[in-house]
Amino acid sequence: MEAGPSRTRASPKEAPAIDAFLAQLPGQLLDGFIRGLVYVAIALGLTIVFGMLRLVNFAHGAFYAIGAYVGLVVAEKLGLAAGLIAAPIAVALFAIVFDRVLLRRFYSKEPTSQILVTFGVAIVVQETLRLIFGGTTRTFPVPAALAGSFNLGFTQYPTYRLLFALGIVLLIIAVYLFIERTDYGLIVRAGVRDRTMVQLLGGNVKLASTIIFALGASLAGLVGAAASPIYSVDPNTGFSFLVPSFVVVVVGGLGSFWGAVLGGLLIGELQSVATLALPAASDVIIYVAMTLVLLIKPSGLLGESEMIRG
Amino acid sequence: MKSHDLRFYALTLLGLIVFPFAIHPIGGYPGLATQILIVAIAAVGFNLVLGYAGLLSYGQAAFYGIGSYVALLTVSKFFPSNPNFWLAILLAVAFVTAMAYVIGAFIVRLYGIYFGLVTLAIAQMLYFVVFQWRSLTQGADGLQGISAPSVPFGFASLDLGSSLPQVDLGPFGNLGDVHYWYPFVALVMLLVLAFMRTLTRSQFGEVLGAIRENEERSMFVGFDPARYKLAAFTIAGMLTGLSGALRGLYEGSTSPDSLTVDTSGSFVIFAVVGGLKTLFGPLLGTGLIMYLENVISAKTDAWRLIEGLIFVGVIVFLPGGILGSLRRKRKGGGPRDVLAGAVRTGPATDASVPRGVTR
Repeated sequence: MEAGPSRTRASPKEAPAIDAFLAQLPGQLLDGFIRGLVYVAIALGLTIVFGMLRLVNFAHGAFYAIGAYVGLVVAEKLGLAAGLIAAPIAVALFAIVFDRVLLRRFYSKEPTSQILVTFGVAIVVQETLRLIFGGTTRTFPVPAALAGSFNLGFTQYPTYRLLFALGIVLLIIAVYLFIERTDYGLIVRAGVRDRTMVQLLGGNVKLASTIIFALGASLAGLVGAAASPIYSVDPNTGFSFLVPSFVVVVVGGLGSFWGAVLGGLLIGELQSVATLALPAASDVIIYVAMTLVLLIKPSGLLGESEMIRG
Repeated sequence: MKSHDLRFYALTLLGLIVFPFAIHPIGGYPGLATQILIVAIAAVGFNLVLGYAGLLSYGQAAFYGIGSYVALLTVSKFFPSNPNFWLAILLAVAFVTAMAYVIGAFIVRLYGIYFGLVTLAIAQMLYFVVFQWRSLTQGADGLQGISAPSVPFGFASLDLGSSLPQVDLGPFGNLGDVHYWYPFVALVMLLVLAFMRTLTRSQFGEVLGAIRENEERSMFVGFDPARYKLAAFTIAGMLTGLSGALRGLYEGSTSPDSLTVDTSGSFVIFAVVGGLKTLFGPLLGTGLIMYLENVISAKTDAWRLIEGLIFVGVIVFLPGGILGSLRRKRKGGGPRDVLAGAVRTGPATDASVPRGVTR
């Protein structure tokens, strides 16, 4: 390892620390990218549901947790692939029932009671998971075929994580195409701008709402299942991903597709780099970033006026 | 003093006196009554934000937790040689009030839905600050084993931990089971309720209701919504800080748990279950939920699930909470606040437009 002669300003004592930092940086940046992608996927669900239903869903983290547990259970019996199929389906079904039975009653009520009911459901889901699976932390082993690591030239990186990243990028593109290129996407985009007008023109906003809700939910569920070999799962997982995802949508701009993408990657990287550079502040730093964004641009980096449009 | 004021003070005082003994036959105990009243101070204050101003704050735990830390640090670290009960309370309340004002000034203009997200995130940030600042807060361990100084009243002073005289009360326990903490906290609760009652019946309360119903119209009428919301947020923060400070001194300990999302959620649950926009609702909700937790969690570990189900059940079947629904049945609805009714959109205002006036 070189001593970094160009860094004349660094004192000799600091130099090895900086070298260690630089040596770990690529891996850490990749970790941050992957964490960021998870945030993007969760925040996208939050943001498109907000765009369509004007609803901030506190139960969105619960979708991730349900997906993770269903994925875990099915994967233990039938393999990871089966888990990845079962999780989004189960979560979508749950979301549809949730929407039809409970949420629908609150569509016409003020936003506060909508948030409250999703918060209540989040607690119920979390505690049900705790009763069924216990409070312990669980994780799913990476399948043997994907267990190795891949040489990226500048660093060795676990193959599963790379595939996971690729999968989520593809998912994000799929969501984008769904919103931009399909008839439902058209209703969604129009519904964001003027819900009543879409209904007057004969658009089925109700059906589109349910589809969007289930889609956002299954996205979180699928990511939850796919991430279980990377991040361990416990009943509180839902909330522990939900809160950073709120930060993501506030930073990116609630309702904005690209805001969720930008915010997610930014927050993921920030958290990851801070873990390396400033461990004591690694948890706090994303909230500091959020505060700064709110001070400078309260609607978020790509907020409000842009909404779901690309 | 008017007759309804007299009735309010007499009945509230009576209820507070009876409370620790009334819960004895059903599995409660005086210590629980004390805890309930302390926590309920925060819930009653929170009502001003969520109920009267319609602002969903998910960050009250920050004020509660930091109130408890400041009070305990005042006693154990800032003035260890001469700890003073009143000073601990005063510093905690002043610090938290200032904090609520600064945070509030910066977020009350935010679009409604953002408010919930941002308050939650800010509370989470403060949680991590408390968690990481080990030299001051002792991190995850929290502050432990700090005994509250006795309370100076003029020349005398009273150790709140000492018991009242032993008097057997049959099925209602023993007067000696009650520590002086209870009458002290009950008195604070009476003052808090009286304060809230005056506040919500004043013009301030009316304007707050109008802003909740229709922010834009109340602005046109000439009120600045941000100022009123900030005042509500700050007052709620103050009461939450008071609650936290009392809890810290009562327990003699605190931990980062007091700042978690769960704690913030508890205040939401207490206030909503009991009834928003009612004076006694949050107190009732706090009492009911904490009592049930005490009884049920001894029998099953499904308590939190039951709590969640109660919460969802109340939102769906008893909108307005327990007291709100009772009141609606008794009075047959109808808003008391005239100003709120005036700015509310809907039939009431449409009717003021003469029919058949078309051009």
